[in-house]
Amino acid sequence: MANLAKMKLAPGPAWFVTLRYGLAFASVAAALGLARAFVYFHLPQPFGAFAISAIALTFWYAGTAPGILAAVLSSLVRSYLFDATTSTESRVLFDLVFLVFALLMTRVARERNQLELRVAERTAELTRSNENLKREIAERNQAQYLTGQVFECSPDAILIIGTDYRYKRVNPVHARNWGRPAASMVGMHVADLLGAEFFEQRVKPFLDRCFAGESVRFEDWFENALGRRYSAVSYSPLLSDSQRVEAALVIGRDLTEHTLASEALRHAQSDLAHASRMTTMGELTASLAHEVNQPITAAVNGASTCVRWLTRDEPDLAEAREAALGVVRNARRAADIINRIRSISKKGESKRQLIEIDEVIREVVVLLRNEAERYSISIRTHFDVNFPKVMADPVQVQQVVMNLIMNSFDAMKDVDRTRELVIRTRRAKDRQLMVSVTDTGVGLPSQQSDQIFDAFFTTKSHGLGMGLRISRTIVESHGGRLCAADNSPHGASFSFTLPIPIDSPE
Amino acid sequence: MSCHKASKLVAIVDDDDSVRGTLQELLRSAGFSSRAFDSAEGFLASGNQQETACLITDIRMPGISGLELQAKLNAERCRIPTIFITAHGDEEMRFKALREGAVEFLQKPFDDEVLIESIRAALNR
Repeated sequence: MANLAKMKLAPGPAWFVTLRYGLAFASVAAALGLARAFVYFHLPQPFGAFAISAIALTFWYAGTAPGILAAVLSSLVRSYLFDATTSTESRVLFDLVFLVFALLMTRVARERNQLELRVAERTAELTRSNENLKREIAERNQAQYLTGQVFECSPDAILIIGTDYRYKRVNPVHARNWGRPAASMVGMHVADLLGAEFFEQRVKPFLDRCFAGESVRFEDWFENALGRRYSAVSYSPLLSDSQRVEAALVIGRDLTEHTLASEALRHAQSDLAHASRMTTMGELTASLAHEVNQPITAAVNGASTCVRWLTRDEPDLAEAREAALGVVRNARRAADIINRIRSISKKGESKRQLIEIDEVIREVVVLLRNEAERYSISIRTHFDVNFPKVMADPVQVQQVVMNLIMNSFDAMKDVDRTRELVIRTRRAKDRQLMVSVTDTGVGLPSQQSDQIFDAFFTTKSHGLGMGLRISRTIVESHGGRLCAADNSPHGASFSFTLPIPIDSPE
Repeated sequence: MSCHKASKLVAIVDDDDSVRGTLQELLRSAGFSSRAFDSAEGFLASGNQQETACLITDIRMPGISGLELQAKLNAERCRIPTIFITAHGDEEMRFKALREGAVEFLQKPFDDEVLIESIRAALNR
């Protein structure tokens, strides 16, 4: 405001100054001319009145300084051209009148200037707020356009359902999914479209949670005009101005193709993993047969013993009973081993459950004990105690462990030093559990250590080169990592991690 | 060192606990006294070689195998009548064991009558 005032009072360009002061001269000259004309026509001499007008005019249009100049000029003109004969008192009186008038006009001019400034400021303010308003309207229009475009052009079904469970708005995708015009669905009850039973069981519970203010997401199979579709659906509450939920914004994404593709992929992976397991089990036939044969031998021994105690001249029932119990125990052990072999060989969907990693490893070690013996390999296990359980598919984890152990066996078969395999479990950083398999074998292939996880990479005369590849896929699908390192002074170390569930105790 | 078998002790060497245990029970029911060892090393260290009249041993074991044990005993001029019991014996292995003086070579699981007869034969030599 101060700046604006200064600008307004500044003298301005030279021609403007000339014009302003020129007005003083011109107006006083005009007053003089008019007064002369009055005298010429013998009318009463009114220079005083004309001069006052000239001063007022100059003050108003040209500003204070030219106004004062006009007052001085008027005083001079009046003194020398009209009242040369009048007394000093009346001259003084006239001058005083001009002076007072000039002072008054100075004030008037200043007030006017301030008023003008204020008007200018108000105008500027108004212009600004007007522009803001225009911009806001433009932005709102743009936002509305965008919302409209999102709604109309989205590849997802978007709909708004009121708290009365009736559609308020549906987009073209939703209309297409149900094979009817969007307009015909507005006002329709959801149950009328989806069927009462489906609505009550699979939609209403989610909608009610949404109306209670919660954002809900779920995935499910739906039957619509396009057939059976798998959709990811989200319900978000829409609030009114008074913060009450007045509708649900529903967005449905069709994931059918994606889901079918990933299911097919999962199937293929599971088939491949199974084929690989079967290959491994095939390699282990002799050892596994031995592993089953031991308890069977023990059972047969027990049964023979039992018969001997019973067929003596004086049968010993207590001894016979003891022997029979041994038969039961050993037959069970044989069955257990067969069950383990069967569960590893079984083909089936991945089933995640809470497992104790030590137990899973122990079961594999039992099956491979004889194989180790065959190559004079000693197996040592170091299990960290009090491990939390992990969420994993036990068969798949066993496959990984078995694969790593079998690789270590292969790496040690031909070395001429202590053949030792160490399996260790411990807690790693970032809530991970780590299992490592360390051997004293030939170590990683030096030139190709980065390729060992590639499909069909193998250094063995037998084998497909899929083992590590499949193991890595399994571990990564569980959210863990599988990596390899050379072991000092010789051998290799393979380790994999599995995430510890968030809700398990530290 | 040579062995003189005044006693009738039967020694069992097998790394599998249940096979070893049930075998010992079987021998007891047939009236033999026996001592069991879970490894060839254990047997060699026991100092029982001299009094052992019959040795029943598994072939594949961690450390010293049954065939190696037989060879060691032969080298020590301690020819104990030996019965091999194995889960996966082939003809070659069988031939080798019998050539080295084994009295019997049995496939697990074995017939108790055959085993008992073999032990009796060994003890009466």
